[in-house]
Amino acid sequence: MIEATGLSKSYGRTRAVDGLSFEVQPGLVTGFLGPNGSGKSTTMRMIMGLDRPDAGSVTLDGRRYHDLPWPLREVGALLEAKAVHPGRSARNHLLSMAQSNAIPSTRVEQVLDQVGLTAVAGRRVGKFSLGMSQRLGIASALLGDPGVLLFDEPINGLDPEGILWVRNLLKALAAEGRTIFVSSHLMSEMALTATNLVVIGRGSLIADTTVQDFIDSNTEATVLVRSPDAGRLTGLLMAAGASVTTRDDGGLLVTRSTPAHIGDIAHSAGIALHELSPQQASLEDVFMELTSDAVDFHGSTAMAESS
Amino acid sequence: MSTTTAAPPDPVPTWESATAARSGRAGRAQAVVSEWTKVRSVRSTWVALVVIVVAGVGLSALVSNIEAGRWARLGLVDRAQFDPVRFSQTGEFISQFVVGVLGAMVVTSEYATGAIRTTLATLPRRMSVLYGKAIVIAGVVFVVTEVTAFVSFFVGQLVLTAHGGRTLPAGSSILTQVRSSTIPVVSITNTGALRAVFLCGVYLTLLALLAFGIGFILRHTAGVISLYVGLLLVLPLIVQILPSSLSDPIERYLPSNLGLAMIVVTTRKTDFAGVLMAPWPAVGMLALYTAAFGALGAWLLMRRDA
Repeated sequence: MIEATGLSKSYGRTRAVDGLSFEVQPGLVTGFLGPNGSGKSTTMRMIMGLDRPDAGSVTLDGRRYHDLPWPLREVGALLEAKAVHPGRSARNHLLSMAQSNAIPSTRVEQVLDQVGLTAVAGRRVGKFSLGMSQRLGIASALLGDPGVLLFDEPINGLDPEGILWVRNLLKALAAEGRTIFVSSHLMSEMALTATNLVVIGRGSLIADTTVQDFIDSNTEATVLVRSPDAGRLTGLLMAAGASVTTRDDGGLLVTRSTPAHIGDIAHSAGIALHELSPQQASLEDVFMELTSDAVDFHGSTAMAESS
Repeated sequence: MSTTTAAPPDPVPTWESATAARSGRAGRAQAVVSEWTKVRSVRSTWVALVVIVVAGVGLSALVSNIEAGRWARLGLVDRAQFDPVRFSQTGEFISQFVVGVLGAMVVTSEYATGAIRTTLATLPRRMSVLYGKAIVIAGVVFVVTEVTAFVSFFVGQLVLTAHGGRTLPAGSSILTQVRSSTIPVVSITNTGALRAVFLCGVYLTLLALLAFGIGFILRHTAGVISLYVGLLLVLPLIVQILPSSLSDPIERYLPSNLGLAMIVVTTRKTDFAGVLMAPWPAVGMLALYTAAFGALGAWLLMRRDA
């Protein structure tokens, strides 16, 4: 379990993380969501003892990272995929890491095989694509077979097959009882991978909840209704306490009601329904709405869509 | 069965690591093994070490050859300054920059790529990282520069012998050298010879550690090399411009002159008389500089974010 309490960190006059508290439970994939520049990487570095918090603390199963006797055997991390000497081979990079924590060198071959880099293990890392570097970073996280795993943007640069592989890997690791904390700015990816969510914007906590609760509690249940007698139905629904918005195409968006209730009202009034469908708000919509105030750098629409 | 009982949710297994249980903690010993793997697994290390050996042995042969040709035409004063040991260690001038780059790059290459964060995450007790790196780079540089120094010494004396040189008897004075009709060749057992050759490697090892310490202070390769070259080359030039009342007391403490103090044998009695420190105090002085930069680097490493 990862426990952060009141974490704060400033760089000069920029407040990167501000009083952040959250818990990451074992046995689940927990997504760490926030727009770019919201303090995710800073938080990751503070968990790893690389940056010193100005205030607050973070512990891993009750201990500070600095106090772990063999850190790689307890915590594995992918922080920056390209943070490897370009002239060293993947195998020697992993070997030097294994030796630093007295991990048997047989683990090096195992993790190389696990991430599919065995064939290129002797090649200089500088020649690696971003996707291969990500795989090497994941291999280094797995090296000590740790119970806590941190991944900072693990799917960057991966092809669709690689993304699917990471998704399944994270779920499999969590199912073994490990604590998995994955940062991403891609909400749709987290919706598919994570069970729990820690959402931050401008360094502050926005939500610490499950993916499902996050969507439920931040969106009103909306039902799309189509009927040839939309006008009369609107009146009846509003009389029953629902609020109704008419779309340009004639469909009715009904909130503060349920599909069953709407169906009953229509039935008792003898109104035909052509469509009655609950609308699922995507995690993306919720996230955009929640963090729209908390984004440091607003791009123009065109830029935002291309990124 | 017509009714289905909801299966209880799968209990989350408790993670039991196969590798976590182990006594002791990751420290200096693991850092040394790990850093050795890093140093030996990049090509630049080997290129640098080959340059040290080739420059050392090659320049020894070249300079000894040139100096041997001059002996017959030298006057008494020049004959007194004829220093066969120093000729054999000429490559030291080039090697001091090579070992500086080696010492700096062990630190700065990791800051340049961000790999330092991996290193400090594997060994969160940061002094272990500093000791591990220092031990490995000092060990590698010491072994290679000592071997180079001794091979260079013997190659230099062989070249002088080939020009008709004769080994001076042990304990012979400058006067014997000046009066000698043949080119003087030095035996390793002659006064000061063993010390000078051995200290050449010590000098280069201390310089590698000096650059290493600066590496943790400045963290950028270009900055470290600039300061390092400044200390060795530019500082002496600045001191030379000063009036001698100012420069005389400073000169002997310059790193480059400390190196000279360790390596020269015959010459010290003549043209450097009074300018150079005695050899072993010079070692102590340079070690002090190295320790000072190292201590500042260590203090910053402990304090700063990675």
